[in-house]
Amino acid sequence: MNFLAIFQSEYLKTRRSLASWLVLVGGIFTPLIIFIARMRFPHKMTNGYQAPDFWLNVWNNSWESMAMFMFPMGIIMATGLVTQLEFKNNAWKQLHTTPQRYVSIYFMKLIIILLLLAQVFIVFNGCLYFFTILPVLFLSNVSYPSGAFDIMHYTRDNAKYFLDCLPIVTLQFLLGMHFKNFLVPLGIGFLMWILSLTTLSWEYNYTLPFSYLMMDFLRNTGRNIPQNVNIHMMALMYSTFFTVIGYVVYTFKHEKG
Amino acid sequence: MYAIETNNLTYRFPSGFGSGIFSHSKASSPEILHNLCLNVPQGSIYGFLGQNGAGKTTTLRLILGLLKKQQGTISIFGKSFHEHRLDILREIGSLIESPSLYNHLTAQENLAIYQKIYGVAEKRITEVLDLVGLPDTGKKKAAEFSLGMKQRLGLAIALLNKPSLLILDEPTNGLDPNGIIEMRELLKQLQREQGITILISSHLLAEIEKLVTHIGIINKGQLVFQGTLDELLTKREQRSRTVLETSDKQVTKHIAEQFNIPAEIEQENIVLPAIPRDILAAITRTLVEKGIAVYGISRINDDLETIFMNVVKE
Repeated sequence: MNFLAIFQSEYLKTRRSLASWLVLVGGIFTPLIIFIARMRFPHKMTNGYQAPDFWLNVWNNSWESMAMFMFPMGIIMATGLVTQLEFKNNAWKQLHTTPQRYVSIYFMKLIIILLLLAQVFIVFNGCLYFFTILPVLFLSNVSYPSGAFDIMHYTRDNAKYFLDCLPIVTLQFLLGMHFKNFLVPLGIGFLMWILSLTTLSWEYNYTLPFSYLMMDFLRNTGRNIPQNVNIHMMALMYSTFFTVIGYVVYTFKHEKG
Repeated sequence: MYAIETNNLTYRFPSGFGSGIFSHSKASSPEILHNLCLNVPQGSIYGFLGQNGAGKTTTLRLILGLLKKQQGTISIFGKSFHEHRLDILREIGSLIESPSLYNHLTAQENLAIYQKIYGVAEKRITEVLDLVGLPDTGKKKAAEFSLGMKQRLGLAIALLNKPSLLILDEPTNGLDPNGIIEMRELLKQLQREQGITILISSHLLAEIEKLVTHIGIINKGQLVFQGTLDELLTKREQRSRTVLETSDKQVTKHIAEQFNIPAEIEQENIVLPAIPRDILAAITRTLVEKGIAVYGISRINDDLETIFMNVVKE
């Protein structure tokens, strides 16, 4: 079976879906809010834009809400929406009577979700740059930031944050593929997120699979987060574990539509 | 050769945690199917009949691999389904219960999803849409379709890969009388021109008797009749009765019994089983000779629906 054809087939299902709108809204929301907030005090931008650590501040300010709220919530919802495409449209039975291996169906859906996640990162980064530069284009008192724009640093951060998101994606995917009722994965996801958020100061918080994105952000901004734990490795281990368990649960599911 | 052959297919609904991997069979859970041996000849239109809850959909879902087989074997075109799942599914088109449509997409897009998987040419999408009578739905989303249109689109999906075997579960649900006739003609045409084997389930015999060549009747998970439509019609012939209306019921009954024909008095009539024409003529002649007035002679044939109900009751 042609990998590209299966990919195209799965990707087509997301066209005009709520999940695809969520990608757009999720990526634009925070940069837009920061832009609006910045525009309320245009006089502050004259000096602010010339600060040596301007880009780093923009980066950290933007990631604060993304890491703590937007990404966890967005992933929980988007993953649920993608898996619900089959349940809601009663389409599992048709999909499972097409000549595809279960492994292709399972992993292609996961790849689509990861692709949507990557799109959020791209939209977010693009909007972050665009809305930061926008005042320069039409406000005479604002010049292009003079501070260094370390693209490698931000690319590295993006990659790490992406990795931190994987346990959330894979656990939500596992639950979303198993439970027909949308509220079950949604409820468990929100509980896990709240648990991770409220126990951030706990020394063993790194054992919670939803906490890595928040921990990584806090660590990057100099908060008191244990440095001796490789949270990216933990994230990778959890996501591998959830993926394998999810696949086993899916394959051995008694009723396939 | 049979397109579909099941051997002692037995199935119980798993009890336990939902329908997931934690489910397990318990001896106490009732059997939904019991030793089902379905034989669908290649090139036939096989009507799979049964009342609601008889086990039709469960059988079809087992044949398509949507339910895990527990006991028995399933062969499609002579190959074990379990061992050749992908090869077999390439040859099958199916429409099980309500059509599986992505409501936020158009008819074209819904078909494109499967066109890519099956690797058929894009022009096939237009072909099947024309075939099922949905050529001009344009940008209308599937959510805005009527039930009949959805059913047609479901059939278009089933036909997309030019299947050798079409499995349809109550495909006329939601269709108006005209739509039912159109679908019937389409299925006949597909079987006639392309030699497709069609397995179609229904709970109404009247709905498919004009379509099928073979019939299987399932009741409470057991196959109670399987054969050609002609065999079912012969069964009807055997069950037909002759009704005599005469001036003296007792004498008429006595005369019939003299010809070794068991007779029963039902209200004002004498009811005889189906008898050869010459014996009926001889009985009538004897009645007239004995001065019994014969007011009427009629032959009653059960319609197929009654036969179906009788088979199910047996």
